Amino acid sequence: MKPIKYISHRFFFVGICVFVLFLQQTIYQIILWASGATSPLPLLWLICAFVVLCSYGWFRVLLPYRKAEKMMQRFLDGYELMQPDLEKTFLTPSSEKELYRIHEMLHSPEVYDLNKRQAQYLALQNQINPHFLYNTLESIRGEALIEGLDSVADMTEALATFFRYTISKVENLVSVEEELENCRTYFRIQKYRFGERLQLHITYDEEEWEQIRHYRMPKLTLQPILENSIIHGTELKIGTGNLHIQFECTEKRLLIRISDDGIGMDEETLWKLNRKLRKDSSQVLHKRPGEKGGIALVNVNNRIHLIFGEEYGMHVYSIQGKGTDVEISIPVIVSDREVSDRGVLS
Amino acid sequence: MKKEMFRMERITYKEHEITKLVDFNLHIFAGEIMGMIPINSFGLSAFLSLLQTNLPLYDGYVYYQENLVNSWKGAGTNQNRITVIESKSCLVERMTVSDNVFVLRKGFRQQMIRKSVLRKQLQPFLDDIGVEIVADAYVERLTTFERMVVELLKGIVAGHKLIVLKDIESLITGEELLKFYEIIRYYAKKGYAFLYICSHLEDIMQICSRVAVLSSGRIEKVLQAHEMTADNLAVLTEEYDTLIRGYLEHKKEKKLDESSVCKIHSVFKDSGKALDFWVHAGECLVVQCMDNQLYDAMLSVDINGLLTRESYLEIDEIKSTLYKNKDVAVIKEFPTKTMLFSDLNYTSNLCFNLDRRMKGVWIGNKIRKSIQKEYSNRLDDGVFDTAVEDLTEKQKYQLVYERILLQKPKVVFCIQPFRGADLAHRMYIWTLLEQFLEKGIGVVVLTINLADSLAIADRLVCIDKSRSVQEYTREEFGEIPVLAPWKHLY
Repeated sequence: MKPIKYISHRFFFVGICVFVLFLQQTIYQIILWASGATSPLPLLWLICAFVVLCSYGWFRVLLPYRKAEKMMQRFLDGYELMQPDLEKTFLTPSSEKELYRIHEMLHSPEVYDLNKRQAQYLALQNQINPHFLYNTLESIRGEALIEGLDSVADMTEALATFFRYTISKVENLVSVEEELENCRTYFRIQKYRFGERLQLHITYDEEEWEQIRHYRMPKLTLQPILENSIIHGTELKIGTGNLHIQFECTEKRLLIRISDDGIGMDEETLWKLNRKLRKDSSQVLHKRPGEKGGIALVNVNNRIHLIFGEEYGMHVYSIQGKGTDVEISIPVIVSDREVSDRGVLS
Repeated sequence: MKKEMFRMERITYKEHEITKLVDFNLHIFAGEIMGMIPINSFGLSAFLSLLQTNLPLYDGYVYYQENLVNSWKGAGTNQNRITVIESKSCLVERMTVSDNVFVLRKGFRQQMIRKSVLRKQLQPFLDDIGVEIVADAYVERLTTFERMVVELLKGIVAGHKLIVLKDIESLITGEELLKFYEIIRYYAKKGYAFLYICSHLEDIMQICSRVAVLSSGRIEKVLQAHEMTADNLAVLTEEYDTLIRGYLEHKKEKKLDESSVCKIHSVFKDSGKALDFWVHAGECLVVQCMDNQLYDAMLSVDINGLLTRESYLEIDEIKSTLYKNKDVAVIKEFPTKTMLFSDLNYTSNLCFNLDRRMKGVWIGNKIRKSIQKEYSNRLDDGVFDTAVEDLTEKQKYQLVYERILLQKPKVVFCIQPFRGADLAHRMYIWTLLEQFLEKGIGVVVLTINLADSLAIADRLVCIDKSRSVQEYTREEFGEIPVLAPWKHLY
């Protein structure tokens, strides 16, 4: 006989045995009662005990067990771990502690810090002494102006502004207006490379904009996506590439859509990319060998998850040959104090 | 500031361990008419179930009116206040319009029902949209258009803020559809949100401000208003377009065999009016019914039940009755649901119509076994060993159409053959109909919507409400006063 490998299966086996025993006893009591050998009282007691036991087994053991199983399965599939304090479905006291520990690890400021640093790294690629960089850029700009090279001066100024934003501003959350301004600066630099081949369109409701521009969002959210749209979308396209940044807001949510009319991606690539965005924040620590692409998007998405929670984040839509859209959904907040888990911002 | 009516945030939903929706993202704003094109229908029924009922999710969040109603952590309330208008009616028969709209709604607490009050309450709604429906009429007597209006009003009165319309273009005539669009626009302006699920780009483009592309249980892209150009949308149906363009080119070169002609003299049961039409061997005749009552009659009974016994068929000047004629076959609407018998095996289903040709088909297994042997190379592997209900949708279509081919009729009546089929299946039905034509079978397609049928047609006959007939040849298709795909190619 094949041994039962898992303890859970052994428990199930014991449960089935108890159930069968109860059933047998009930039938026996029914036979006794039918033949008039005993009063119906023991039978009634037995049926009551049977119903209570079954109900307890179903509601207090089997359903929570299934829930715990689902939680572990999701975690193994790379999804977010359910908040342990919300789900009292622990197998043993030590498994409870274990789950709390994992949850704490995944939601620690260190994980956020890692993502933040990675974002800055992605933006810069190389760590350069900021003051030395600004001074040098200012010098180049001065020289260019003296020589009458306005375009070089303008480009240098844009580059200096961009670096100043990415390196010097150390806040975690910035206003939508600041973030959009950084996108414009970045686009100005890219325009020198692509010329009229690249167009940026920013759309929003004029009436809403007065509110939207003050809303807070994680720093360096839009620029990495814009960069991705250019590198993987419009750069590879023949003809003019159009980039759209659209802002919409509802009572509770700010929706930002960055789209391009570039080459798009096939169904499988899109599926893999969205899978990566669904993975738990900790996955950023474990990049598998041979796995490439989408780091910037994953990073932005992780930071949104860590700051605002799993309900918010990013989703990518694409059709091959018809461009890609990245949709960001974050809560509407006007002050950093409105972030529920402010620990991650410290 | 916009108001979000409905949101599905990265939903992963499993049914019996099969993932039906994966990373499904969709949001609809108040006052918006959003379109949805299912490239394939995988996950569509799961999506519709999740819209109305908060079933356990594997991952993701569902919001209705910006409130979380369902998530992978657990569901909130069981039902969302969302109306779905589709081919199947949600009205209760043997009850009047006003009863359906007011009495059956949640929260109706009156013990005494005063009909006159209900009539008065309903009238302003009808006046607003310019539709005349008798409040005391029983719902089973309503036309499909009226039924849809009543379902819409029922949703509005019950406080449903999101109305889902599924394939309504194949239920009502073009004129009625335009009227219904007006009603939708009216309620959209009042802040109600609509999701229009439709396989035809032309219909979507007429009314929707955004369109979501559904494929394999996920939204591949949401096209914004500025992206909804014919060029952008054409990429979604590129394969189908290529198939049809190729077919239309081939059709120009093809000559019809006019030596064989099948004349049909049909006398309708309800009106007693006669309609004569003819179809050549290998010709496709599309009959567009612009009369909803005629269409409803087609739905409820098959073509034999619709016609009187005075109707006859004349093939090569030999008259015979239409009734139980082996030279006539009918493919009903939704054939995969209405024409297959789950308690019979694949071979028996395939041979179902064969007794009209071979009397001994049901005596012993010999004939059926030889047919099975003959067809095993033509059909998918293992279909003969699969229970009929376990076949894929494509295999079910194949079974229905192969059954007709085996019958070898002279003429086949197809009632809305493309209805309810997603893009991939429509392409397959198209190739199956082509097989009929190549084998010299005359095909008569009865339809309300011309969208898919027109391209395969050699001739078009339009029957209006007075049962008068307007005929168009292929050369005149460009002059047809309706919006139909590929019209520019004629």
